[in-house]
Amino acid sequence: MIRLWKKFRGTAAEGAARPRSIVMEGARKSTGGRTRHRVLMSVAVFFGLYAAIGGRLVYLGLQEPPASSAPGVHITASRPDLVDRNGEVLATDIKTASLFAEPRRIVDIDEAIEKLATVLPDLDYNQTYRKLDSDAGFVWLRRQLSPRQQAEIMALGVPGLGFRTEKRRFYPGGSTASHILGLVNIDNKGIAGMEKYVDDQGLADLQATGLAVPGNLEPVRLSVDLRVQHVVHDELVQGMEKYHAIAAGAVVLDAKTGEVVAMASVPDYDPNKPYNALEKDRLNRMSAGVYEMGSTFKLFTTAMALDSGLVSINDSFDATRALRIAGFTINDFHGKHRVLTVPEIFIYSSNIGTAKMADVVGIEGHREFLKRVGLLDRMRTELPEVAHPTEPRVWKKLNSITISFGHGVATTPLQTAMAAAAMVNGGKLIPPTFLPRTESEAAAIAEQVISPETSALMRYLLRLNAERGSGRRADVEGYFVGGKTGTAEKVVNGRYSSDKRFNAFIASFPANDPDYVVLVIIDEPKPEKPGMGATAGLNAGTMAGNIIRRSAPLLGVKPDFGHESAALLVSR
Amino acid sequence: MFRTTDMVLIAVMLSAAAFTYKIKGDAEAKLAEIRRLETSIRLEEDTIDVLKADWSLLTQPARLQRLTEIYKSQLELEPVEARQIVEIGDLPMPPPLPIEDGTSQPLGGMADSGQDPVVTGGVVR
Repeated sequence: MIRLWKKFRGTAAEGAARPRSIVMEGARKSTGGRTRHRVLMSVAVFFGLYAAIGGRLVYLGLQEPPASSAPGVHITASRPDLVDRNGEVLATDIKTASLFAEPRRIVDIDEAIEKLATVLPDLDYNQTYRKLDSDAGFVWLRRQLSPRQQAEIMALGVPGLGFRTEKRRFYPGGSTASHILGLVNIDNKGIAGMEKYVDDQGLADLQATGLAVPGNLEPVRLSVDLRVQHVVHDELVQGMEKYHAIAAGAVVLDAKTGEVVAMASVPDYDPNKPYNALEKDRLNRMSAGVYEMGSTFKLFTTAMALDSGLVSINDSFDATRALRIAGFTINDFHGKHRVLTVPEIFIYSSNIGTAKMADVVGIEGHREFLKRVGLLDRMRTELPEVAHPTEPRVWKKLNSITISFGHGVATTPLQTAMAAAAMVNGGKLIPPTFLPRTESEAAAIAEQVISPETSALMRYLLRLNAERGSGRRADVEGYFVGGKTGTAEKVVNGRYSSDKRFNAFIASFPANDPDYVVLVIIDEPKPEKPGMGATAGLNAGTMAGNIIRRSAPLLGVKPDFGHESAALLVSR
Repeated sequence: MFRTTDMVLIAVMLSAAAFTYKIKGDAEAKLAEIRRLETSIRLEEDTIDVLKADWSLLTQPARLQRLTEIYKSQLELEPVEARQIVEIGDLPMPPPLPIEDGTSQPLGGMADSGQDPVVTGGVVR
């Protein structure tokens, strides 16, 4: 055919070159013309055929696959694990399988239910039958099965059943660290506590861009020690029951780095079943509640007076008579009715003496000091739930006097622990953190609020109080505890009530060079047995002592029996 | 009419086709193997996650405390007192061990029974 084609072209060119010569074309046209026609035809046919196939391919490629009656795979965002300072898991993601059925595809309903019942014995026959008998395209049969149940159901081989994998946040400790860890919602987004903090640090953006896949998320390490956290939680639950209180809370703070080693507030909630997490009574009292801290504030008043240089540790104040001001009478709970030295004022918790010390510093100086130690501003930390402390709008002399023994300014307990740590660690105010922090990092952000000498005096006073004063019940042999009680009267209907109390206890150990500060609060404690008292030393002090006894060995504090308190005073 | 080159070419073509077919089959088998391995890796990873959660559940201090309370009487468990914690330097030196006079016996009386009853791989019998 090619030869023919060439011949044809050749003659055509010849013809063109010699237009005037006579050319006989008939025979060639009868063969060559038909051949050309056939070639074109077959080219067209093949082209059409391939065009049809190609078009069909494009059509099929563009077409959406037919929609399944099951809902699309729900991609639940992955979250990093939260681990404690020793790497123990506090919160993790686990995959659970949920069983669904497509009733239209089920052949024999009775057989399907019978087989399912061998794996899920508590399956309700009638209800399941009604579900499977319907004409629905999709019904859930059971949510969140264990992997074993899933494997067994698969092995049954019932047609029309399927699984959807769902991610669920799991907190192995239950309510132990609930207020620190916070909560996630149904879409695995952090809505409270450290879970929310992790989201705010960029996890939410990662999830939005689809980069948050399980493999590449490093666990987030917290400063919390799960063992100490359990001790604190356990003591609070026991204490609340023992003293018939409405609430209790405690925090263990590393005095040198500001790390929160443990923090709990009861009543709390189980983050695995957070149906009651938003009840007002279950809030995190340690950071989201503000309270008048009572006599524990005398720690700050005494430190202020000593640090100002206007009062020395050997000065005395007259506490013979009650103090009358603006129609109010300030009296002592454990009145001694004599002249008291500064350490005596501290260990007998004299309101009159403390008020007089505050008076020496003056109203402006008092407010400035509390501002300096961070008790009047909102605390900076990772937890989103932090309350703003309250103070009188205008500071009058009466305010300064009542604030000197802890009435009139309401602060969060965590904030008070932070300020107390500054009083004993050499005068450095370090914002509390829930993430690991080294001492050098802490030193970089620390603020010197009182002189190291004053801090040494405060350590001595705290130890003296634990030895001879109201803090005796918190003393633990070998750990050299220092402490201050605080029994505040609660405001009921605008008046201070004498039978509703808010008790607090600040402890530090070992008192000569404190590593840890423990703050325990207990709200409206009643006497353990009728006839006993309900002051802070009896309940909050005992609880603080128990916490220290149980947690000090875990924290690696070396017990020491060689110390004498007198030596502490001499070596200051 | 076939020439030798044609025969050779046909043979080459057939073997090439067979080779391609085999490669394709092998690749499919490998892909299936990869899919199977990926599935089993995913399963293992999920199992590890579940086991980790299980482990942390089993080692919860709250659970351990409950167990120690239950078995306290049988195991005679008591909380550690501060006085029980000491460092090695705080321990008194142990009294010196009496040195026996072994000069009368061969090898200090330690290997005098003739043959060691223990038979190991290095013992020549």
